[in-house]
Amino acid sequence: MRSPRNLALFAALSLAACETTGETRADFAPSSTPGGDTTIDDRTSQAFMQPAPNLDPQTLEAHLDGDLAFEAEFVTRPADINPGLGPTYNNVGCVRCHVRDGRGMPAVGPGPLRSHLLVRVSQPEGEPAAPGGSVPVPGLGLQIQDQSIRGAVPEAAVAVTWRTETVAYEDGTRVELQAPELKITLPDGRPLAPEVLTSLRQPPPVFGLGLLEAVPESDVRALADPEDADGDGLSGRPNEVWDPEVGATVLGRFGHKANTSNLRVQAAAAYFNDMGISSPVFPDPDGATDIDDETLDGAVVYTRTLAVPAPAESAAASAGAERFRAFGCAGCHVETLVTGPSEIPALADQVIHPYTDLLLHDLGEGLADGRPDFLATGREWRTPPLWGIGLTHTVLPYSGFLHDARARTLEEAILWHGGEAEAAREAFRKATADERKSLLAFLQAL
Amino acid sequence: MQTHRLSPGRALFALSLGTLACDTGGGGETSTGFDDQAVVVDYVDHVIVPTYTLLATRAEGLSAAVEALAAGPDADTLAAARQAWIDTRSPWEQSEAFLFGPVDSNGYDPALDTWPLNEADLNAVLAGTDALTVDFVESLPESQKGFHTVEYLIFGVDNAKTPDAFTARELQYLDAATAEMARIAGLLAKSWTTSLDGRRPYAEVFRTAGEPGNTAYPSLGAAGQEIVQGMIGILDEVANGKIAEPYDNHDPRLVESQFSFNSQVDFQDNVRGVRRAWLGLGPEESSPAGASLSAFVARRDPALAARVTAELDAGVAAIAAIPVPFRDAITDDAASGRIEAAQAALRKAQTTIESEVVPLVLE
Repeated sequence: MRSPRNLALFAALSLAACETTGETRADFAPSSTPGGDTTIDDRTSQAFMQPAPNLDPQTLEAHLDGDLAFEAEFVTRPADINPGLGPTYNNVGCVRCHVRDGRGMPAVGPGPLRSHLLVRVSQPEGEPAAPGGSVPVPGLGLQIQDQSIRGAVPEAAVAVTWRTETVAYEDGTRVELQAPELKITLPDGRPLAPEVLTSLRQPPPVFGLGLLEAVPESDVRALADPEDADGDGLSGRPNEVWDPEVGATVLGRFGHKANTSNLRVQAAAAYFNDMGISSPVFPDPDGATDIDDETLDGAVVYTRTLAVPAPAESAAASAGAERFRAFGCAGCHVETLVTGPSEIPALADQVIHPYTDLLLHDLGEGLADGRPDFLATGREWRTPPLWGIGLTHTVLPYSGFLHDARARTLEEAILWHGGEAEAAREAFRKATADERKSLLAFLQAL
Repeated sequence: MQTHRLSPGRALFALSLGTLACDTGGGGETSTGFDDQAVVVDYVDHVIVPTYTLLATRAEGLSAAVEALAAGPDADTLAAARQAWIDTRSPWEQSEAFLFGPVDSNGYDPALDTWPLNEADLNAVLAGTDALTVDFVESLPESQKGFHTVEYLIFGVDNAKTPDAFTARELQYLDAATAEMARIAGLLAKSWTTSLDGRRPYAEVFRTAGEPGNTAYPSLGAAGQEIVQGMIGILDEVANGKIAEPYDNHDPRLVESQFSFNSQVDFQDNVRGVRRAWLGLGPEESSPAGASLSAFVARRDPALAARVTAELDAGVAAIAAIPVPFRDAITDDAASGRIEAAQAALRKAQTTIESEVVPLVLE
């Protein structure tokens, strides 16, 4: 259905195409169907929260039911509806942090947003909570719940301040960057022990995730190059994580460090750790649960089946796409993946353009959290998808980029890249103002 | 309540866009889609900003009325406080036709309209000894503040609370909670009109759609789509969420504004908000009309523009025909015909907008 439009776009761009390496500029144009048949044309604040247009009626109904689970806000037990919050938590419902199914705000602590940012913690050594995983901190576990229901005490108070630093482009233009500094105070007034490892995280967008889950494991592993055998400066390592339902170590796909195997475990962990809501995957110690499988799987199918927005049509974006490849961004932000079989037919066998390889990469000291997570080192992060990234401030003005929302703009986000991405960042930093603008126009159109 | 986004209509919406793409794919014509800057500017100046300004004014009025109730709870002050709550509710519900921008980023929506309220914790606070100052209430979670907490306290569970039923602490709590609502409503209006926290007023962001450097709305078309998507979103929400959820589940606990018996007024205001977004109208009878999406469509298809207006009016009328209170109507067999007729009317308007207006905007 969309191909005629692609042809029109192709034709229009071809008129002005410049020959480069035997390809016309239109060859670089971002695909108008980044989500395959799950793509929608929506460049509004609602762009991340639409069902995929190709769902069968049964799956659409499950999606709409799941929407209710995803937007439910929990309260203190006993209550007529949505009981079970806490006793400690970060926020009260999925959609409270994944605002309009996108990112959250760089907010933590008191205030009407409560905590959109959260802090993962672990001990440098000791007995891990799950085989191969992080070591819990006594009294805190693996995540600080900084809010509580009445009568309970938050595990700690978290405050974030932002320190600024300035970097310069090769042409002398300066850009101010900001990085978070954490202040964590325990209930007795003492600061968190200095040896505790901390990692500040922001909520990622939740659309398109079912497609990423349906990419065959062998395809993800095929992209890996752990020892950089091809010498391109990029390693690309899969995380290997404990799946509590399978009871085994499997490929990690989700989370900023790919520390989670699939969307069901991801959702159950978010219910349990972020809201204090137990479920069949993570029950209370006595085996009881606050939500049942129907609610949990409702939230899961909802995130699996959200549509991916098509990029804006923009001639500048095509030129920028060329820069994206030339600078080396596409080495990790892999443009095209293909999904395999899926229990949801709409997600099966789709050619998608998420701009991720789902692998871990060393992003350098500037972004390092120093907190390993399964095989991910303290400098590694999973390549985040870039589809829809240009809509970030349409969906949620003033929200930030990168794992801890430190980057206020896409430009800042690029400039934070280091480690394996240093060469790409330097190519951007040394480029002309027009070339930089062109790359940003491409990202903005996604 | 938070925005909802369920919609069997959504699939249809996407289908209609796909069809559109086929229709325009072959010719390579110049785009004839939405490019009317006056509509975008007037949407901000005539529709959004006056609505938030009215909300802020009415929230001040609610705070004052509750202060009078707290000073002397009797039948008159209670009636005035209830009316002030209903009056404040109206512009808020209308604003749900354009629920984007700082209302989410700055947490104004959860601060004002969290549902459900946390009765267990609210009751614990009321039974406790904390001084119920504005600062203390401000520090409490959103499920113990805002419209629905205040509604619960001034209307009572069955819209039957009498003046002598108010405890001293409830009155203190109400006083602080409505002062907090007024503060939040004031900030919401300011976030659009002035620079808050060094940020550009959001009115400017939307007004300047399509200008270089505007990353939120890089084209006028994106702004036009935002207007129409806001209309679709809330029509969908009323028919398929606010009405369908409690009706399909026969569960009065799921009804919005159930304590005040104001549900149908809420729903009508939602649709009135859509109507105003469509016609470029302000929130009050005296408000001047601006350039509108309706006029943009009328220049291309006057019959369609008239039909959309008529279908929105029919939607408001169909909701008004549902017996009050809605929480009882959902389990009353005699009311089911009217409930379903209201849903049908809203879905009809939504379908018309999705399948006929959207293509004109996106073309």
